[in-house]
Amino acid sequence: MKTRNFFPWMVIATLFAGGAAVRAQEAAPAASATSTVPVTTSSPLAANAYEMGLVQREDRLFVDEGLEFVRQAVKADPQFALGHAALGYFTVDPKEAKDESALALKFIANAAPDEQLLIHWMNDTKNGDTVEAISAMNDLLAKYPTDKRLGNMAAEWLCANQGAYEHGEAILVRLLKYDPRYYPAMNNLAYCYALSGQPQLAPPLMEQYVAALPNEPNPQDSYGEIMRMLGDYPAALGHYQSALKINPHFNASQVGVASTYALMGDETRARAQYLVAIRGTKERSTQVGYRILWAMTYYRENKPRLAREAFEKVDVEAHLAGLTVQEAEIHRALALFNPDPAGALKDLDEARADLSQSGKSNLLPGDRDNELALILQARAFIAVNAGKTDAAQATEKLLENMAQSSRSTPVQQAYHSANGAVLLAQGDYAGAIAELQEDPYNPLSLQLLSEAQTKAGQAADARKTLETLAAISDERVETAVAAPAARLALKHDAAHPVQGGAN
Amino acid sequence: MRNRLLIVGVLILSVASVAFGTDYAIVVNPANPLRALNLAELGKIFRAKTTIWPDGKGITLVLRDQNSPGTKFILEKVLGGTFDEEKAVLSDPGRKSAVPVVFAESDEEVMRIVGANAGAIGVIDVYNITGGVKVVKIDDKQPFDPGYVLKGR
Repeated sequence: MKTRNFFPWMVIATLFAGGAAVRAQEAAPAASATSTVPVTTSSPLAANAYEMGLVQREDRLFVDEGLEFVRQAVKADPQFALGHAALGYFTVDPKEAKDESALALKFIANAAPDEQLLIHWMNDTKNGDTVEAISAMNDLLAKYPTDKRLGNMAAEWLCANQGAYEHGEAILVRLLKYDPRYYPAMNNLAYCYALSGQPQLAPPLMEQYVAALPNEPNPQDSYGEIMRMLGDYPAALGHYQSALKINPHFNASQVGVASTYALMGDETRARAQYLVAIRGTKERSTQVGYRILWAMTYYRENKPRLAREAFEKVDVEAHLAGLTVQEAEIHRALALFNPDPAGALKDLDEARADLSQSGKSNLLPGDRDNELALILQARAFIAVNAGKTDAAQATEKLLENMAQSSRSTPVQQAYHSANGAVLLAQGDYAGAIAELQEDPYNPLSLQLLSEAQTKAGQAADARKTLETLAAISDERVETAVAAPAARLALKHDAAHPVQGGAN
Repeated sequence: MRNRLLIVGVLILSVASVAFGTDYAIVVNPANPLRALNLAELGKIFRAKTTIWPDGKGITLVLRDQNSPGTKFILEKVLGGTFDEEKAVLSDPGRKSAVPVVFAESDEEVMRIVGANAGAIGVIDVYNITGGVKVVKIDDKQPFDPGYVLKGR
């Protein structure tokens, strides 16, 4: 994508950008003279690359290509504050995120006042300064109500990161009222509905999205994803394949095909498709992410030795690329799949070592803390399942200390769920239920929640939790570990119905 | 493909209708030097036991309408009793001259009133905060802090 001719993309930019004009400004810009947040750079090349980055990433959902354009923008103007902030906000490479956020603040005086607000929003969301981020976001939305890209990004953050669906949906509905043809908002609204427990509202939006942009791959890709979330794998595959017919290089759909096969249990085909996806991206962190999914297929088909070998190979790749969080994630995955508790705890020691060896200098504190919290959570769960309540309690104390000083949702959820696991082991079922309910999206927590509800005599609630868990259909390690057992348990219950106490 | 965060993060569909709580923020006029209150001090304002700020300005309490879920939650949290026990506090005619209560139709209206009144203190959903008001810490914590007392369920 990087080598594509620039000119045709400018035409696409006009189509998608919703009026966000590209502008390079040599002097101080006139703040908010237009309907979009100003973009200040002394380099026309940087301004164009930045705009193209947003077109690709935000509007067309060519995520890696968009990121690359933003990298080109800051290369063209190393003092381009908003460019650095956007790169720090978009990248999944923790080191890049940390470095770029710092550069954004270093050069923030170059930016117009409202642009500075946008930079603060991007940085604050990354740093966990959520109140400040919300304040900046709302001020910008009030000042630029017709900046569609701004609204779309804000809504995406609210829905995807904050679980504030009602707020995200309100912004998207308003954007679509203003411009019914602003398709990125339509796309996000479908996901917001799907995630907020209104999945029936998503497919009609997807139908509109697909019909409106028949030559774009993302609408088909999104539709595929929604159908996969709904558990309709054949429909999902059909949409992903339609996206790839439109653009064979739309790698997200390639991964979509692979993961759908993986969820369907066709691991051989899934692996082959993952390899195509890995070849289709030059982004190292993305490659390693796909490699992790590829390695997981061996666990899915119950080949633990091959799986461990595959994960170890990916670990070497991640290490060479300096991807510390991914290294830790690999060891955490190995632990979660490890049937031997002692071995699993050793895997988690390795995961912690990954973070402590190079993490201090390379990572944003938030990224390090989030992964560390997940490692400790896994340790607590594994210890509880192995009957090592003291070890679980010691780990829970570490998480409690982290939670005292962190506003991060993953840290908070990890602490509460680990505490719930310990309470479950101690026989305090009511306490366990309350704590485990604080981590409602983690399949491992749902597994323990169902157990706690059963032991508390809440059979109907336990079954509902089990059904929730069984219906989760995604690529996460936690899902691969916990969801199949839930599905088996439900099947068993259906074959051997028993009378249970209803709640 | 919108978007990986969504996909990796939260995928519970059809079976579960996910209900989210929100944190409630206590907000004052930006000119108010107040930075923090404890829950007991806030309770005294709600009960009209504290009627003026340290600088002598009279306090006005701005809330969403009395039957909104947010106001019910806040009353119970701040005053400690059930909503039915505590709601009379707000409609007590005797408090009108002490700490008047203004009921607003939206969080935007709460913020507009607080932004225009140096003595006002209001309660809003944290996701509606703007730079036009100042968030006050409660028990030394602000929304999203671990253990924040006005975290809704």
